[in-house]
Amino acid sequence: MSQANFKFEKSDRSLMERLFEPPAPGKMSFTGNLVAYALLLFWSAFVLFPIYWVIITSFKDAKIVNEGPYYIPFYDFQPTLDGWRALTIDPDCGPYAFVHQIGVNLYNAFAYLVSPLVTIDRMQPAICKVLLAYQNSLIISIFATALCMIVGSMAAYALARVAYAPKFGNIVMFVILALGSILTSTYAGVHWALATVAALALFFLLARSLGRFFKSTLGNNDILFWIISQRILPPIVVVIPIYMMFQAVGLVDSHLALILVYAVANLPIVVWLMYDFFRSLPIELEESAQLDGATRFGIFWDIVLPLTRPGFAATTLLTLILNWNEYLFAVFLSTAKAQTMPIMIQAKNAGERGTLWWEMSAIIVVMIIPVILMAIFLQRFIAKGVLLGAVKG
Amino acid sequence: MADGAMIKPGVPVSFNKVQKSFGSVRVLEELNLQVQPGEFLVLLGASGSGKTTALRILSGLETASAGRVTIGDRDVTDILPKYRDISMVFQSYALYPHKTVAENIGFPLKVRKVPRAEMQAAIKDAAAQVQLDHLLGRYPRELSGGQRQRVALARAIIRRPSVFLMDEPLSNLDAKLRGHMRAELKHMQQSFGITTIYVTHDQIEAMTLAHRIAILEKGVLQQLDTPEQIYNNPANLFVAQFIGSPPMNIVKGSLDSSTFQAHGAAVAVPVQGRVDSAVLGVRPEDCTLAAPAPGGLTGEIYTTELIGDHTLVTLKIGGDFLAVKASKDFRAAPGQVAGVGVARERLFVFDAASGARLT
Repeated sequence: MSQANFKFEKSDRSLMERLFEPPAPGKMSFTGNLVAYALLLFWSAFVLFPIYWVIITSFKDAKIVNEGPYYIPFYDFQPTLDGWRALTIDPDCGPYAFVHQIGVNLYNAFAYLVSPLVTIDRMQPAICKVLLAYQNSLIISIFATALCMIVGSMAAYALARVAYAPKFGNIVMFVILALGSILTSTYAGVHWALATVAALALFFLLARSLGRFFKSTLGNNDILFWIISQRILPPIVVVIPIYMMFQAVGLVDSHLALILVYAVANLPIVVWLMYDFFRSLPIELEESAQLDGATRFGIFWDIVLPLTRPGFAATTLLTLILNWNEYLFAVFLSTAKAQTMPIMIQAKNAGERGTLWWEMSAIIVVMIIPVILMAIFLQRFIAKGVLLGAVKG
Repeated sequence: MADGAMIKPGVPVSFNKVQKSFGSVRVLEELNLQVQPGEFLVLLGASGSGKTTALRILSGLETASAGRVTIGDRDVTDILPKYRDISMVFQSYALYPHKTVAENIGFPLKVRKVPRAEMQAAIKDAAAQVQLDHLLGRYPRELSGGQRQRVALARAIIRRPSVFLMDEPLSNLDAKLRGHMRAELKHMQQSFGITTIYVTHDQIEAMTLAHRIAILEKGVLQQLDTPEQIYNNPANLFVAQFIGSPPMNIVKGSLDSSTFQAHGAAVAVPVQGRVDSAVLGVRPEDCTLAAPAPGGLTGEIYTTELIGDHTLVTLKIGGDFLAVKASKDFRAAPGQVAGVGVARERLFVFDAASGARLT
């Protein structure tokens, strides 16, 4: 090959070369840039249009929606505040009611805190349904996410760093004894607490004695798969049993029920994601901390968590969004007091007047605001390069 | 605080019949090793020799499959790492990237809940020992490799442990810095008098740093002795070939009474017996170039390399290559035939099959 094929000057390059060849290493060719930006623009429009559509629909009224589609406010149609007025037209939803409700809630929280010492009657807030649902959504998603992240990340860390070897025989024994305790308490009239305690005691006794003879063990991968497999199950399959369970303990339509269910439902995702983040940490850091005298929890808190912060933030955001948007469990487990925002939105779909798109859009706009704020807030932590300088020479 | 008050007298360390297997793979055969108080002991071996495993068993990061480990008069075999009173420097340094240099150095004291003022003083003191005083506010990512190495060292010395463990601490540094840090390490160990166990695959590090070297191969301790003895008196063929740069010359042949025969040459050796397959070993500096003589080792010059203070001449004798250290003024054309004279008292004869030394 001759040297003449190399073009050192820009002007030497033919039109085709200028179009399709990168001008320098690490850059993209003109055509490459064009295609990349065209695709990005198309995709941005694809993603952003629904948000735009929801926002303008919240400023439409019945007539505009039915005549539509109209795309550009002031040009295509005259925006109205009908949708937004519906949110506040309820006398319990005005600005005064809003402040009042916050005050009542704070008062009730105080009353609850001092209740072991002094009994103070709770106040009944004037119920603004949207505000109540908003409040419920916030409480349930934040607590469910927190619970899920705490339990999930610790479980993931344990699975990533401690080798477990539960004996298969012991697991089978546990399942048999659990079934036994359920059957005896249901059909033989034994008190459930007694049956549980007896079964547990029997299990520990047998696991200590018989367990020695069991050979085959499961490993961390089996445990991990077991946890992830919980997510493979469609939620609709378990929603009726879960409803009956919470009904039996009197927790239907309570925050606690939804918090627990959401935390359990998202646990597999958290464990799965965090497991990968923990596994990618260089183990020398933890070994060094161990030799320096840190406890297992100290290492997790002081070394591991700060280093997995990007992954932790991303997982938190994902879990928060999943909890915030959850509909199926909410529709079964909440009837009035614990209703969440997705239920409120769905409620605008029914009734003799058909779907009230403008009111629904207004609620949706209100609903997506916290998620966007949260994404912006967590964005700062989802940055790379935290591990720089750890183990590279 | 007086310097002397902080120095702990060195403690002995011992491995008693320590074994380690990973599944069916035996990485450490029965290891017996007594380390003297205040000794600088180097575990030397190629990768996979079991040297790092031995160190990790002593640190408690790995548990022995069998055998006991003691530090001082305590059996630590089943004790958690943090109660063993050891500190370790890792090959990768293992600095906490989200902590400043000061926080990194002070970490062992922080987890022990040492009062703040005392900790600050100790950090300053340890940092001064490794000349890091001016970098205490920086993060590890802002430091050079050598500075990171010093932070790791400072974190190890701040606590004045009974035993230092070092796992190839210098191998990530460039050659010049490595030489410098080697001298500093040796000086530091001497002034502290703390028992130190140092793992490396670099024989120069081992020779220069160690009071005694333990050479491991395939999980078996080959020789435990001072650098001089290891060099001058190798226990077997493996040690003889492993130590020395360039390595010891090896000539394959046979031993008959006190004559070693190879490639038509006969060399008188100080050993009796008859071995069909034997190996003659002689170090390049114990060979001299001479005029070819009948019955002597004779070969063609293959290459000559001027090293600086000497010339390394490689001869081809039959199928074997033999290196000779000649004077720096030596000049010869490749292909020229030369004889090799060997110092009789500096010869080693090994059994080729077992590697056992016969002289």
